Amino acid sequence: MDINIVGPKVFWTSSWEVPILGKFQLSETILVSWLVMAVITLVCIFLTRDLKVENISKRQALAEFIVEKLDNFVLGNMGERFRYMIPFIGALFATSLVSNLISLTGLRSPTADLSTEAAWALVVFIMITRQKLKTNGLGGYLKGFTEPIFVMTPFNILGEISTPVSMACRHFGNIFSGIVINALIYGALAVASSALLGLIPGAVGAVLSQIPILQVGLPAITSVYFDWFTGCMQAFIFSMLTIMYIAVEAEAE
Amino acid sequence: MDTQGLVGIVPWTLIAQLCNLFIQLWLIKKFLLTPVRNILKKRQEMTDAKIQEAEQAKTEAHAIKAEYEQNMLAAKEKANEILASAQKTADNQAEVILQEANQQAAQLKAKAEREIAQEKKKAVNELKNEIGDIAVEIAGKVIDREVKESDHEKLIDDFILNIGNES
Repeated sequence: MDINIVGPKVFWTSSWEVPILGKFQLSETILVSWLVMAVITLVCIFLTRDLKVENISKRQALAEFIVEKLDNFVLGNMGERFRYMIPFIGALFATSLVSNLISLTGLRSPTADLSTEAAWALVVFIMITRQKLKTNGLGGYLKGFTEPIFVMTPFNILGEISTPVSMACRHFGNIFSGIVINALIYGALAVASSALLGLIPGAVGAVLSQIPILQVGLPAITSVYFDWFTGCMQAFIFSMLTIMYIAVEAEAE
Repeated sequence: MDTQGLVGIVPWTLIAQLCNLFIQLWLIKKFLLTPVRNILKKRQEMTDAKIQEAEQAKTEAHAIKAEYEQNMLAAKEKANEILASAQKTADNQAEVILQEANQQAAQLKAKAEREIAQEKKKAVNELKNEIGDIAVEIAGKVIDREVKESDHEKLIDDFILNIGNES
């Protein structure tokens, strides 16, 4: 019995090559990401079909509810002047949530690839830095690294970089660990199933021990935590942290 | 099939995911946020318009009510005026009628009196004539009879006296 946990599959590799970046690989991550985008977009289109001013359908009520909650989430934490952040936070949260939950269908979550979170964290890092520059000016921003004393500069730089790194790794770690634990549980249950049913003597035991009966049931329960709870939680945490980091920098004004 | 590293950053995937995130942002904006915001805005506008309409209707109703009340007041006043004037006219008319009636009555009375007097005079005259005739007749009858001269004399005297008293 060997458990094999691998990275995202590569479906196509380009023959051309770009310096530094190397060959382009169409990975499982990218493909499933497109699927995630399609799902989100179709849901959006479905929800906003034939919108009415009066006598609204349940579907429209849901769409309005989502938009309202998103508005409250962003504006309540960041203030009215960050209204332009609403679509970004919405996209971030929706993509993260659906990416996490798509693992329930058996596909590999795009969020189980550190590249995905790294890309998001990079955007968030740029936004935070932009806000810092806006608040303090370039001089103030650079001076901030030398505080409280000059010697602290390397640590400050490290701290600055650790923000996106920790954000990316937190999200990735949670989703990836879910995959690993899931694989371990399935593997362990197959072994347990085989051992338990192998106790039945004769041909019956030999046949039944080949079927991992114990795999039915328990993974569904563990998946409530590792897929549903963690998936929703991490999407929320990532969006919340983005909002908080930017809002904190803006409030320093 | 090849697989990428389990934990690691693949530059191309990172770039692709970066693009995906911003495409997703645009898609959500286009297909969810914009339509919903439009409809919310429209609803807000409609509600505002309705409230304004109601406000206007209220103001109008108030104006109409005030006008109505004013009209009612004016009408009442006018009615009172008309009533008073009618009363006055009626009084006047009654007086005039009464006066006329009195006058007429007086006239009638006077006329009647005159007529009575005339009739009386006429009757007396007639009576006198008749008495004369009767007297002559009686005289004739008396003459026919055997009468004494004294009776004859006395009779004529009585007659004349009576007539004189009566007239």
